[in-house]
Amino acid sequence: MFKELDPILHSQLRLAAMSLLISVKEAEFTYLREKTNSTAGNLSVQLNKLKEAGYIDITKQFKNNYPQTLCSITPIGINAFEQYVKDLQEYLNIK
Amino acid sequence: MEAENKFSEADSLRLIAATIQEAKGGYYHDSGIGSIFWGTVISIAGLMTFFTLQFKWDNDFDWWLLALFALVPQIFISIREGRQKVVKTHVGRALDMVWILFGFSIFAIIFYMNFSPVMHMKFLAEDGTALFAKNLSTGETRDYSLSVAPSPGSLLLLLYAFPTMVTGVVQKFRPMIIGAIITYVFFVISIYTRNPVDQLLMGISGLLNWLIPGLILRKRYLKAEKLQHV
Repeated sequence: MFKELDPILHSQLRLAAMSLLISVKEAEFTYLREKTNSTAGNLSVQLNKLKEAGYIDITKQFKNNYPQTLCSITPIGINAFEQYVKDLQEYLNIK
Repeated sequence: MEAENKFSEADSLRLIAATIQEAKGGYYHDSGIGSIFWGTVISIAGLMTFFTLQFKWDNDFDWWLLALFALVPQIFISIREGRQKVVKTHVGRALDMVWILFGFSIFAIIFYMNFSPVMHMKFLAEDGTALFAKNLSTGETRDYSLSVAPSPGSLLLLLYAFPTMVTGVVQKFRPMIIGAIITYVFFVISIYTRNPVDQLLMGISGLLNWLIPGLILRKRYLKAEKLQHV
């Protein structure tokens, strides 16, 4: 019996954002938008869903008088991502 | 990446692998400015001190003071580069820490080089011991006092190689690995050479450790910037 994949992570844009954040300390919103090739509106919605799930932290601040949004993965997010990859490997029968 | 439906499990795995690969490519976006700057400062200081000592130039200026003056622009460079970073990596943070501690260690060694001989002489005096130097040709004996730790250049060379090797290995950047290996060789050589040669070795290590790798990094950085804006 296969475990159900985490619905929060099983979405293309949210998973891409998490994959980027898993390997860095923190990243700017603009970096995530560029790397995921997404629109600001869509990315913003998906990041908020990740934040509501407690998977990421979003910090808004000012840099050189311009607003800056910083995203970083939380320990809950790291665990969820690792579990997702594990479930995925089980599902695809990868050892 | 607008579509959120019809996303298979195999797609998931491919996406994770592709995204991590994509992120990897952008991690070490080193502009090379810091390396070029410090490579130039250390090379000038080492080489000019060597020429001054070797050819007995009439010059009282301590070229190593350049390194002290260079701290001010370095602070500005660090702040500017920090502001420009759109992503902070764990590796980048660890390497920044290595270089900050390298800076502290350099000052600690300079402090050690100047004060440990003084303390050594003080401890000898407390034990009722004094040092004398005897001229073997004339037989003349005079008081002898250590004013600076022996072969200070060796300690500095050893320290130069350490963060450079760490950075080179972690970033898989061969020019820095080669520079660090040569600097370790220079460290061994410097044990057997006098101060002017140690200065020459330090100047060359500045070139090999930082200036040349910095120029290579700069070229790569400008090329990547150009491609991004095409």
